Amino acid sequence: MSRPRRGDKGPEFRPGTWLLGTGPESDIAICTRVRLARNLQGYPFAPRLDDADASELYTFVVGRLQKPGLPEALQVLDLAPVDELERTVLVERHLISRELAGSKRTSGVAVDAEESVAVMVNEEDHLRVQVFAPGLQPEATWRRAERLDDALIERLPMAWSEEFGFLTACPTNTGTGLRLSVMLHLPGLVWSEEIDKATNVAQKIHLAVRGLYGEGSRALGDFYQVSNQITLGRDEQTILGEVQLAVGRIVQWEREVRAALLRGSARVKTLDRVNRALGTLERAQILSSEEALGCLSAMRFGIREKLLDGFEIPAVNRALLLSQPGHLQRHTREQLKPEERDQRRAQLLREVLGCGR
Amino acid sequence: MQYCTACQKAIATIVIMDLTEGAVTGSQHVCQACAEKIGIAPPKPPKFSAELVEDALGGKTWPRSKPLEACAGCGMTPADFRSKGRLGCPRCYDTFRGELLPLLQRIHEAQAHRGRLPVPATTPVPATEDQSLCDVRRRLEDAVRGERYEEAASLRDALRKLERGGPA
Repeated sequence: MSRPRRGDKGPEFRPGTWLLGTGPESDIAICTRVRLARNLQGYPFAPRLDDADASELYTFVVGRLQKPGLPEALQVLDLAPVDELERTVLVERHLISRELAGSKRTSGVAVDAEESVAVMVNEEDHLRVQVFAPGLQPEATWRRAERLDDALIERLPMAWSEEFGFLTACPTNTGTGLRLSVMLHLPGLVWSEEIDKATNVAQKIHLAVRGLYGEGSRALGDFYQVSNQITLGRDEQTILGEVQLAVGRIVQWEREVRAALLRGSARVKTLDRVNRALGTLERAQILSSEEALGCLSAMRFGIREKLLDGFEIPAVNRALLLSQPGHLQRHTREQLKPEERDQRRAQLLREVLGCGR
Repeated sequence: MQYCTACQKAIATIVIMDLTEGAVTGSQHVCQACAEKIGIAPPKPPKFSAELVEDALGGKTWPRSKPLEACAGCGMTPADFRSKGRLGCPRCYDTFRGELLPLLQRIHEAQAHRGRLPVPATTPVPATEDQSLCDVRRRLEDAVRGERYEEAASLRDALRKLERGGPA
């Protein structure tokens, strides 16, 4: 989490667990995330917590997190001295939420070295535990989160009731407090205009489908996030099973449409699309975040489907991360105006991908 | 683009997949109208937060004759709860229970928890524990404000003991 030294590649070049690009079904499933919402007894929830209580709670929780015996080696990052740019970087690395980044009260995040565990303190709930694993791995990710949750329950008095389970500030998280999300790369479904149908199938069983990048419902770069909406009345295993089943179906669907995009007359169109994206990345002098994500998506597809030679997925993943405004500015070590950012982005992506001039 | 396999007229927007042991064994493409006819139209996504609470509380079911009081645990008023869609403390779950249940039903299609709890389900619920924690904290604050330091010290010890005791 330290600032990069001049001359080295800097920690922003490390992709973190969520962008490793490995794991089961990693051609389509980028990452699995388990999030648990937890609150402490004896303190009001965030909406009624005053600043003094928030500070006291933070000190209490951090003290307990630092006691030996936790199954994860976590380093606590106090957000008070962290400036806006570094907070944006943490958001882009999925370690803190946008809400926590904008919060003025005493707060922090405890992270492991691989960035596969992040415990936010004083978010909408007192604790938001996040565990990441590359690819599609709901069960393994859950087991790791459960082990950490057990240890946290041992050292912190959690708010719960037999009737409502874990008590949360927002009724949408009550019960298990579990949100299981899988980040998916679905260029096939988007290009063949089947994505809305896939979204409908997921919604039918109460799963939320959102774009991973960008605001609102538009998914930039064909990256989507599928997660359970229901947290009450279904136990953890049921929730895991439902998400796993639906995501498995979407992954299979994506494979089928990809195969169709590579057959017959569709193939030349697909090749054209992938190569145009590469051409843009090689030659463009000004690249918006949106255009960069679109081109990198096509490139990722092209590499996975063996349409492009000489490029590797890890480089595309790094490019995906570095094309984000926070990482871009941190890398260039200066605050940039949006138009300057677009210029630097084009230049940096050529460097990272080792192409063009 | 595919036409609906049921009516053959409209554009299909929904795919019904047949699953056997998790594997897709067949699929059907249908339009929204046909999906509704056979009762498998995707549900409208639930609305959240303030809007949802307004819906649940602001309609005809709102017991106007018996206005709710603020939560004794945190002071959250019914108006706050309705406008923010958030609960203020564990006790709010009791205070606003009557209004919360239909809300939970709409969000989760359920009103009670299934799954993990911090302790085995046979252990009695620590119903009064949180209340006493909140009470002790409030009394402690009062004692400090009133400069009753001896009382404050013993309350602080009691609070520490309660916190160490955990949820069991």
